[in-house]
Amino acid sequence: MKSKKQFPYFDHENISTLEFILDKIFMKRQHLLIIIILFWGCKDKFPVIEELGGTQYNLVNQNNQNVVFPDFVKNKIVVINYIFTNCPDICPLSTNNMRLIQEGIKKENIKNVQFVSLSFDPKFDTPDVLKKFTGIRNLDLSNWAFLTGEKSVTDSIIKKIGVLAVPNDSTIFKNGRKIFYYVHTDRIQLIDADGKIRKNYKGSTINVNEIVADIKSLQ
Amino acid sequence: MKKVKGKSLLIVALIFTLNMIIFAQQPKTQYSKLKIKNAWVRPAAKGANSALYFVLQNNGSKPDTLIGAESKLADIVEVHESYKRDNDRMGMRPAGKLVINLKSELEFKPGGIHVMLLDLQKDFKIGDLFEAVLQFKYAGKIKVKAEVRDTPMTKEIKQ
Repeated sequence: MKSKKQFPYFDHENISTLEFILDKIFMKRQHLLIIIILFWGCKDKFPVIEELGGTQYNLVNQNNQNVVFPDFVKNKIVVINYIFTNCPDICPLSTNNMRLIQEGIKKENIKNVQFVSLSFDPKFDTPDVLKKFTGIRNLDLSNWAFLTGEKSVTDSIIKKIGVLAVPNDSTIFKNGRKIFYYVHTDRIQLIDADGKIRKNYKGSTINVNEIVADIKSLQ
Repeated sequence: MKKVKGKSLLIVALIFTLNMIIFAQQPKTQYSKLKIKNAWVRPAAKGANSALYFVLQNNGSKPDTLIGAESKLADIVEVHESYKRDNDRMGMRPAGKLVINLKSELEFKPGGIHVMLLDLQKDFKIGDLFEAVLQFKYAGKIKVKAEVRDTPMTKEIKQ
């Protein structure tokens, strides 16, 4: 004789207590499944691309002060781009987008975010050159550092984080000065407060609203 | 009779000279319908590099070609284009001679074709004016006045 099923309609003998409780809570298993999918979906939105924790790089900022990267941004969400100041088009575009992101997080009143611009042409981009680069653009450096250092150190960083920068053409000026142009990865990256790189964006064409929303999600 | 012949020769010479003047001026008239609008330059310090952007309109009767650019405010001025290599890698190369077709626009924009300004002779801050000269195959030299800005130009500057 078949027993009449009790509400909620499932076989109590064939499911675990946990499932029973969860079913009680969510009424239908489908609901539970949707919630699990949403949870994993959010997690996958920011997969860990690279971990910077445990690594230390000695660099110099635009004020000629020594900084240890990423220690000096520990416990902060970091927005970082990679530049060379002789770049006439792409790097200024990426840097201007960094400025727009900075304005975006100010408007949203998001705290605890540090901006970093790292030069992969440190032989030319001395602290003084970086300072002029920021000054002429009237950039807000209250939470934005422009970094340079030994070429071997900046090369190690960009290798670790997956940015390529290869000298291509060069120009020799009338005064004999020679500068190089790099073929380089056009990138802005989002690093979480634990030093994990969580998302890559194309620096020159980044959607500012998208990264501001992503920063909010990571908080 | 000799007097009449002399007068005729004078008239022929006058007509010829007038024709030459009109003929010489004709291309200028035809190609003066090249219009440069929304010109702007990125800020950069003395000795650094920047780029000039604008929209070029050809409302004339023939296509024209941009063959060069110059400015007293930069050591080297070249027409370049940024281009995508592989993945997210970007490079830059000379743009060559650029044809502006009839009734069309050619946009010089960030991440695309631009006039590269190398070794600026002074600081260019936001709000400053930059001047350059574009050289066209038919229209000759056309002056460009551009505002120094960090975002694209939306209003026009009287050229």
